[in-house]
Amino acid sequence: MRNVLHITKLLLSVAVMLSAACTSDLRNSDSDGAGSELRTAEGTGVAGDAHRQAERSAGEVARAMADTADFREERLELVRRHIAARGIEDPRVLESMRSVPRHQFVPEGYVEQAYENRPLPIGHGQTISQPYIVAYMTALVEPDSSDRVLEVGTGSGYQAAILAEIVEAVFTVEIIPELARTARDRLRQLGYGDVHVKQADGYFGWEEHAPFDAIVVTAAAEHIPPPLIDQLKDGGRMIIPVGSPFRTQTLMLVEKRADDLSTRSLVPVRFVPFTRDE
Amino acid sequence: MPHSDLLMNRLTTALALVSTGLIGFQLVLMQLLSVVQWYHFAYMVISVALLGFGAAGTVLSLARGWFLRRFHMVVPLAMIGCGAAMPLAAWLAASEHAVARFDSYLLFVDPGQFGSLILTYLLFFIPFFLGALAIGLILVRYSREAGTYYFANLLGSGVGALFALALMWVMKPVLLPPAVGLIAVAGGVLVIPRRYRRRLGTAGVTALLICVWFFLRPFELQQSQFKDLSKTLDLPDAEIVLERSSPYGLVQVVSAPALRHAPGLSLSYRGDIPVEKAVFNNGNWYGPVTAAADSVHLLDYSTSVLPYVVGRPRMVLDLHARTGSNVAQAVTHGAEAVTAVEPHESVLSLLRRELAPDTDSLLHHPAVTVRAEEPRTYLAATRDSFALITQPIVGAFGGTLGLFALREEYGLTVEAFGEMWRRLAADGMISVTSWMDYPYRNPMKLLATLVRMLRDAGVEAPENHLAAWRSWGTVTFVATRAPLGDEALTGIREAARELSFDPLLLPGLRPEERMRYNVLQDTNFFAYIDRIVAGDRGFIERYDFDIQPATDNDPYFSQFLKWKTVPRLFDEVGPESFPFLELGTLITAAAFVQIFFAAILLIILPLFRHGWARGGRVWTLLYFSGLGIGYLFLEMVLIQRFVLYLGHPIYAVAAVLAAILIFSGVGSSISQRLHVNPMSLATVAGAVALLIALYALFLMPVLRATISQPLLWKALLALMIVGAPAFLMGMPFPFGLRFLTQRRRSHVPWAWAINGCLSVVSSVLAALLAVQIGFVAVMLIAAGAYGVVAVISAAARGT
Repeated sequence: MRNVLHITKLLLSVAVMLSAACTSDLRNSDSDGAGSELRTAEGTGVAGDAHRQAERSAGEVARAMADTADFREERLELVRRHIAARGIEDPRVLESMRSVPRHQFVPEGYVEQAYENRPLPIGHGQTISQPYIVAYMTALVEPDSSDRVLEVGTGSGYQAAILAEIVEAVFTVEIIPELARTARDRLRQLGYGDVHVKQADGYFGWEEHAPFDAIVVTAAAEHIPPPLIDQLKDGGRMIIPVGSPFRTQTLMLVEKRADDLSTRSLVPVRFVPFTRDE
Repeated sequence: MPHSDLLMNRLTTALALVSTGLIGFQLVLMQLLSVVQWYHFAYMVISVALLGFGAAGTVLSLARGWFLRRFHMVVPLAMIGCGAAMPLAAWLAASEHAVARFDSYLLFVDPGQFGSLILTYLLFFIPFFLGALAIGLILVRYSREAGTYYFANLLGSGVGALFALALMWVMKPVLLPPAVGLIAVAGGVLVIPRRYRRRLGTAGVTALLICVWFFLRPFELQQSQFKDLSKTLDLPDAEIVLERSSPYGLVQVVSAPALRHAPGLSLSYRGDIPVEKAVFNNGNWYGPVTAAADSVHLLDYSTSVLPYVVGRPRMVLDLHARTGSNVAQAVTHGAEAVTAVEPHESVLSLLRRELAPDTDSLLHHPAVTVRAEEPRTYLAATRDSFALITQPIVGAFGGTLGLFALREEYGLTVEAFGEMWRRLAADGMISVTSWMDYPYRNPMKLLATLVRMLRDAGVEAPENHLAAWRSWGTVTFVATRAPLGDEALTGIREAARELSFDPLLLPGLRPEERMRYNVLQDTNFFAYIDRIVAGDRGFIERYDFDIQPATDNDPYFSQFLKWKTVPRLFDEVGPESFPFLELGTLITAAAFVQIFFAAILLIILPLFRHGWARGGRVWTLLYFSGLGIGYLFLEMVLIQRFVLYLGHPIYAVAAVLAAILIFSGVGSSISQRLHVNPMSLATVAGAVALLIALYALFLMPVLRATISQPLLWKALLALMIVGAPAFLMGMPFPFGLRFLTQRRRSHVPWAWAINGCLSVVSSVLAALLAVQIGFVAVMLIAAGAYGVVAVISAAARGT
């Protein structure tokens, strides 16, 4: 399996170079058509659109080449058994989860476990979240294709890639330089050109691109930074997982309506009430 | 086997030195591994490594003749090897060059971690095995003088406990293994015989050089990436600006431009969150370095501002003040007198000196008085009254993973809250904040404890004395001496609106008020809270987690796991998440299972060679198992009891441990002069059993009655209470060895193996049992174990 991955990585870099030069209509090569709309990230104009179209097509090729039939099969099974079966119904979220090759976002030693429904370590005390939690968080922000989403805590870049399959633009901030650099390279290699990665303190959000329709905070802190609340659009939603590494206890949804803020504590695992009358 | 006085003196000294090194290494390792990983991991590794004692006995039992023939070669060589292995094992397991990179967080994620764990065990097993081999061989060869040598063993161990404690004040953790290693090497060098001088001399010099090398070239400790400190140091430009070693732990102060601390901050807060330094103890978060001069304190935007909404407290007591956040809040609210009680002397020293400019000299503020002692000891002694008593936040953001399940928390017991209640002024209140968690545990147990305390204090309607509100992340409870008045209730409701908090408990609270800003998906929480306030004990018993109020007899507030609900929880949260629900208890239980089976193996191995049914095996097994269980069970309880009683946890542990070992040593020494027969064995064991049974009944009342006495009196009383059973408990082991020497000499090394194995099994079992059944029951089991020893000793008269 590892040899396959090494070869895949080599092929990947070649594919990215080739597809950047070739802007022919490759975008329909993805037969399931997930996220086939043309998106704009920054700037407008025919040249820019064409460039992004080429980038996107290149990404699809890159992802296709980085994938294998085995991984695809495992991924579909994961989505069927652990995500769709546990109440995630949004078709765009499910399609995104089926499309993004999670095995490309986990450290080499954990590739075999990439399609198990569990968080995995990515170094620096951080984890790539459990796939179900990623899907649940994505569904909770109710992403729309025209949305601009801020992610605080890029980590491996997996959550950003999932969002990028659905929304117009993803802005993601990571404070740990090594993680930011790796995620940026990985996302670029996989063709997620409309994910903008910045190495910075997530406390300040990304003011130049604010306001955001949704904010996904993956690296939860014990306070919600006031600048993030300011950068959330009226009617916007912010989602924060609350828990320690390897275990999300609850998800907190912050909703902003006419400057009124409310929180909702959501339970990702459907516990039955923790008491029984005997 | 007779031997000259000179040889005996040298052997006794060497044995004492290696014992000093071994107990020192055990304590040092606890410190070192707590820095690198967590206390539970340290506990597990050391417990397994200590099986080296049992393994040494097993090896001696299997090859007694071979070792006895090479006595003069093996004893010094094992001691020298033991000393050299100490720094080497630490380097190979805890440095950046470690060959065994184990991380307890990854144990349930990465199957490869099991290999690293086994390698870690082996590395630390080696020094204990070698040391125990030397001691065991001396006891086997000179079993007739067992009392004298066991005295040296216990005396050396007692001194080692004190010595390690002293070293921790002056040396960084990484320097400690070579320091204690040198002592064991010295023991080995002392008994090198003339004929092996060249060969063993070379080994001695090599070991010496290894220790000196690690002393002069200390390695960098490789902390788990999941520790608070590691994650903080990953922030850009983060650096350790101050460092202090002490027996309380390695204190490190970190400065980072992105370090902000505002636990559970209200969403209504729109200001800046200032960048702060933070203090870490053994790599775990200890507290922020808070500026006191801020006119707006960030805690005023957290639920912990509740007592300042209820009233205007002028006399404030902050228990476990840590780095002074609550103290600073009290000062900014104009408190006239704030008493900060904090036992961690190193942190206090830093706050008073180096960190004074960062805290606006908070601890030098005219209103602030600092007491460096255990909060419970202070509470028992003080005669002052307070308008407000506060504590640090309970739990942790995102949960603690149950890592503190086996930590005694005497500040969160029914008795502790009772003492706080008695120290309140007529308008006083106790305030305590908890992180919300899911499944609901911490807030529920906290409330159950407060309600029990109020009822014990004669409050007939606790609901009129309790106020609570919650934010998105925290809940604060206030218990007031006087019933809550209308003015306070109005103030709480207004402040809740301003801060986007939801009232949780107020007299006359309407259900719709409880979930206006922070909606819970599982709204059963409110019904649970109401049932607890109503005193529904049946509900508390049926709840899937242990939310019974913690008591001084069972002071494990953070232990929530109920073994009977484990299968159900496993199904609910799934195999991936389950281990992270209550990791601490599970790791300890896993340690027990491993140790238990390893111990059984080590005990029965010699039987394959020497036969199962031949001559009194059962007697030897029961006698030395009983001693191992009884001794360790009582030792564990005495240490816990006196930590609370003497008020200085580290000193109390060292002093009590040293006193137990030294008094036992004296008992052992005196036993050498007494005649050994079944009746003497039975009499001593019976006396110990009786004494422990009396302690189970009367120890706590005696300690409670005298806890407010001056420290000197308490220390003398502690010495007598610890000394009496310890003195007697030092006798049965050498008695037993001498008895075996008379009747079944080949059992002597096996007895050493049984005692070593059972001592380790008992220390882990005692910790697990104390959590489930309390200290009194653990003492009664200890009494029972000695009772069994007495009975079988008496029965041996006819054999």
